[in-house]
Amino acid sequence: MPEFREEHLDVNGVDTAVFSAGEGPPFVFFHGAGTVTGFDCLLPLAERFRLIVPHHPGFGASADDASVDDIHDYVRHYLDLLDLLGVEEFSLGGLSMGGYLAASFSIYQPHRVRRLVLGAPIGLRVREHPTIDIFSIPDEELLGYLTEDMSIFEGKVPMPPTPEFLAERYRESTSTARLFWKRVYDLKLTRWLHRLTMPTLVVWGDADKLVPVEQAAVWAEHIPNAEVRILPGVGHLIFDESAEAVDAIADFVGAELTV
Amino acid sequence: MSALDGIKLYFFHHHHYIDIPDDHERYRATMVDYPNSLYDPEKGYELYERHFRSILRAEQLGFDGICLNEHHSMTYSMSPTVGLMAARYVTATDRCPIMVAGTPINLQYPNRVAEEYALLDVMSGGRMEYAFPLGTGMEYWANEGTVNPTTARKRFRESLDIILRAWTEDGPMRYEGDFYTYRYLNVWPKPYQKPYPKCFIVGTGSEETVQLAVDYGMGYSIVFVPIPSQLKAFARFRELAAERGRTVEPDDLIIVVMAYVADTDEEAVREAQPHIETFFSWFHRVTPRFLVPPGYVTTKEFLRRASDAAMADSTKATWDDMVSIGRIACGSPDTVAETIVNWCEEAGAGRVNVVLENGDMPEWKIAKNTTLFADEVMPRIRARIGGKTADRELATAGVK
Repeated sequence: MPEFREEHLDVNGVDTAVFSAGEGPPFVFFHGAGTVTGFDCLLPLAERFRLIVPHHPGFGASADDASVDDIHDYVRHYLDLLDLLGVEEFSLGGLSMGGYLAASFSIYQPHRVRRLVLGAPIGLRVREHPTIDIFSIPDEELLGYLTEDMSIFEGKVPMPPTPEFLAERYRESTSTARLFWKRVYDLKLTRWLHRLTMPTLVVWGDADKLVPVEQAAVWAEHIPNAEVRILPGVGHLIFDESAEAVDAIADFVGAELTV
Repeated sequence: MSALDGIKLYFFHHHHYIDIPDDHERYRATMVDYPNSLYDPEKGYELYERHFRSILRAEQLGFDGICLNEHHSMTYSMSPTVGLMAARYVTATDRCPIMVAGTPINLQYPNRVAEEYALLDVMSGGRMEYAFPLGTGMEYWANEGTVNPTTARKRFRESLDIILRAWTEDGPMRYEGDFYTYRYLNVWPKPYQKPYPKCFIVGTGSEETVQLAVDYGMGYSIVFVPIPSQLKAFARFRELAAERGRTVEPDDLIIVVMAYVADTDEEAVREAQPHIETFFSWFHRVTPRFLVPPGYVTTKEFLRRASDAAMADSTKATWDDMVSIGRIACGSPDTVAETIVNWCEEAGAGRVNVVLENGDMPEWKIAKNTTLFADEVMPRIRARIGGKTADRELATAGVK
């Protein structure tokens, strides 16, 4: 199995950690609002692609940027980062907040994104099936909201949690709150999803307790060229929980290579 | 440190909603998500009347001032809009200063706070004083989401700037901040006192709030945190002020003291202890999440708190813990006076917000405690530290 190489880039003044593995056509992955479980679950993708997993400013090994208070600030950050990496055309995926970010990026620069994978993205207001407000979940219940498979936290969440672990979670929660304290959706997003003309895979676990699986249909309705893949029994952290979900990325993104 | 030459004793009141349900153990917090179906307006009315009596009694007994505060969505306080509360006391009193301590200004448009506070100052003929709190973490959970805890401190600073400019500069003026834009900032009325009423920053002793008090030339009012933290904050305040060439006067520093007076130390502890314990175990009951919303403190400060055993859950503190970390003066008149004098001298503080009503204390104890404090403790404190004797005859004569 390939391993990640960690490099740090100065992106417009912000020290940004980028984890890369493998060779081939680039696949960039935007993570969700936490880095606890790491991204080793994605490493099988490195056997076919140049896998690039940057940590967002304010998360994991990247520095804080208190000026980021909007999803568009992250889009602009990644315009710079991809220039630094020399990545022009690529396939893009993201989970949860990262899915929302991937969709936002692709609205602005659809010509650069060959194939798009949206994993249980936030960003839409679906009144009948609302995204759960993560800030309102009591600490002791949070892990249960994130996954159907608690084993994914083994060796990654100290029990009892250390002050350092809690502080790092507080930091990531702060970075999340900078964007989403008021709301986790953009009321105007559906109006612009028509710009996602690239082949798009919407992948969701049907046991997602945070972002209901019913939202998948709303994305598919507004994206011109979307297919939906529902994974039975899988919770919100789909790529940690399900090797099948990672395989689905490989098949979907790889399909372009065999055309 | 300069010797104190006087001390101001203010009667500080929480306006608790006092009704503890039989199944109280099941609630994680008495704030933020404590259900308001448990609020009984008839009970609320009785309590407002009782609290009103307590505060008027304090004025009549010769306290140097009264102090009111504001909190939101909690049983701890029935005062979600302290300006309205103050208006009631402005018209019901005619002597003492009234400190409003205060609306968390982030929860309101700053021009509204400037107007409301100036209005009170004019209505009272210049008896108002103001202390500005950032607002507890709980206030940010209870408030509209536009006010983001991650930018609370920046917004607080900008709000203060707007209020002071609105009070001190001639309008109309244009203001373009990061959070607020005014085309015509031009508040009517402006304060009665010039340039503006005595003001304080309310804080827990963090570097940021101390710095703010220095930057704006205000006093510092410290909340109920462990005494060593209070002393450290005051020392830092003096140090930063000295760098600006400012001498911190005793009148710039407020400590909060919980006091209970009885004939003997034993009687005082016996009568006060259960209510002060209830104050911490019930009225302070809150979850860590509510206490510190995301971004309300820095990650570094969060780590310091998470690592500090002394910062552990105050609702589980024992009586001895409370007495040793906090300013709880409980005993005979000699004991209470001696304790308060020592604390003031140690802190160099010329102001004390005295809390004489805590937790679920019945009215007879409040009346007894307040009267004994006024009759027996105040003269002892003044004999030690000096300062004026309250114009109590005048006050009593003025009661209609």
